[in-house]
Amino acid sequence: MTTELQPLHGNQACALAAVAAGCRFFAGYPITPSSEIAEHMSHELPRVGGVFVQMEDEIGSLAACIGASFGGAKAMTATSGPGFSLMQENLGYAAMTETPCVIVNVMRGGPSTGMPTRPAQGDLMQARWGTHGDHPIIVLTPASVQEIYTETTRAFALSERFRVPVVVLYDQVVAQLLESIEVPPAEQSVAADRPWAAAGNGFQPYAETESLVPPMVRPGEGLRVHTTGLTHAPTGFPTQAPPVADRALKRLLEKIEKHRDVIDKSDAYRCEDAEIVIVACGITARAARRAVATLREEGVKAGLFRPLTMWPFPERAFRAATANARRVLVPELNAGQLILEVERLTAGRRPVAGLNRVDGEPLAPRQISDRVKELARHD
Amino acid sequence: MSRLEIRLAGSGGQGLITGARILFEAFSMEGRRAAQSQSYEPTSRGGFCYSDLILADDATDYPLVTGLDVLIALDQTGADRSAAMVKPGATVLYDERLVTAPPAGEFNAHALPLNAHAVSAGSARGANIVALGAYAAMSGTCRLESLEEAIRRETPERFVAMNLEAARAGFRLGKERS
Repeated sequence: MTTELQPLHGNQACALAAVAAGCRFFAGYPITPSSEIAEHMSHELPRVGGVFVQMEDEIGSLAACIGASFGGAKAMTATSGPGFSLMQENLGYAAMTETPCVIVNVMRGGPSTGMPTRPAQGDLMQARWGTHGDHPIIVLTPASVQEIYTETTRAFALSERFRVPVVVLYDQVVAQLLESIEVPPAEQSVAADRPWAAAGNGFQPYAETESLVPPMVRPGEGLRVHTTGLTHAPTGFPTQAPPVADRALKRLLEKIEKHRDVIDKSDAYRCEDAEIVIVACGITARAARRAVATLREEGVKAGLFRPLTMWPFPERAFRAATANARRVLVPELNAGQLILEVERLTAGRRPVAGLNRVDGEPLAPRQISDRVKELARHD
Repeated sequence: MSRLEIRLAGSGGQGLITGARILFEAFSMEGRRAAQSQSYEPTSRGGFCYSDLILADDATDYPLVTGLDVLIALDQTGADRSAAMVKPGATVLYDERLVTAPPAGEFNAHALPLNAHAVSAGSARGANIVALGAYAAMSGTCRLESLEEAIRRETPERFVAMNLEAARAGFRLGKERS
């Protein structure tokens, strides 16, 4: 297997990975600090016969992606917090209609227009619960330019396979960073298409299947499909019949739970004997990794657990990584979001502490190691 | 080799990001993994600007500055705003005319005629490249040939000859002073 080392910026890696995965439609409204993704897509897509559209806003951007996806294309949009807020309605529509699409959110300081050129991690919970109602969603959190490439290609694979919107969520630091990465051979990056429906009598577009993912109708091949954001029966038509509505929503949620073995992804660094486990993502995880290395040199048994799939949260791996820990520390660039999930899973079995920064600057390794030492004094 | 943190600091328009990108390429040719970042503000027409290069054996290491091993300051703004991040014993290279008050501390500091040599090579705008040449010679971390090849790759065609001249002038300057 040959790989070539290539210097890429984070957002550039995202665009190239999307094209390599098979993305052939991009609709977006450029916004700092994600704009380079749109810029690179506008160069790359025409070269491969794809379509780039600069839309009037972010509502239209995701709407266009959903339409393109129903037309058979792998589609992506990219934005930052203010645009991600505008996309929430259509994100729910994509979840409900089971339309594959990839949404990149490069996080900046918020709320509202906040701090456009500053890193933040304030959209972790919005990415999970931003649109209304119980809904399936997958959120991936890369921490390096290399991971932006691999996680963007994974986003397409998951989105197509499970017919679910996938959010790729990273921060301004990683977005603008230049690093040399190993670009995998093209054939490894291509995402398989969503399951396609075959013509036949009694076809139902939202039928219950073994995988819980109904095959999708390929446009123009004779099958008829009714698509709606209203709760729908396997026929695709609206229903409010309680047993049918109950099964419709539960199938949407179960199709994610059933495939957790494929969807979950995380990285545990020196957690085996760790007395304190740090849980972090994005640029904060890289600061934490350095902190762990320094602490270990000083004899402090620290480890790092890093979710690459943020939602659904990799519960099983988290429990294994923290099994022997006395404490858990959750540093994050927000007022305390990831810590809520960590506390839920820890359920009071060991103390969980936070370390938060919301001034537009990343957490430094030293701040994290100092906090670990401060906590260790209580033991 | 262990972790090495390098900053080019000055004002917008001095080619600090281009300089770091060239150094990134040069180090890559020498087989070293690097991460390059920069101030992310509208400073193309002045105002404090910097560009950082972190060399580390572990590609997943923290990619931002924790304490500078090397500061290259092209003007007083760059020197003043970066001084607090320079580690004791670090190498500090600065322009002898545009930096009148260099960072105070136990540094390996060198006042160099970066602008003057750049003007001789064709333009004061090449001071960033003169600085790279001087750094390469003084530190021994990067060969002149790698720097030259990086310049050919990373600068527009019409500036290549001038930049190569600036890099060589800087390299000679660095050799004289080390």
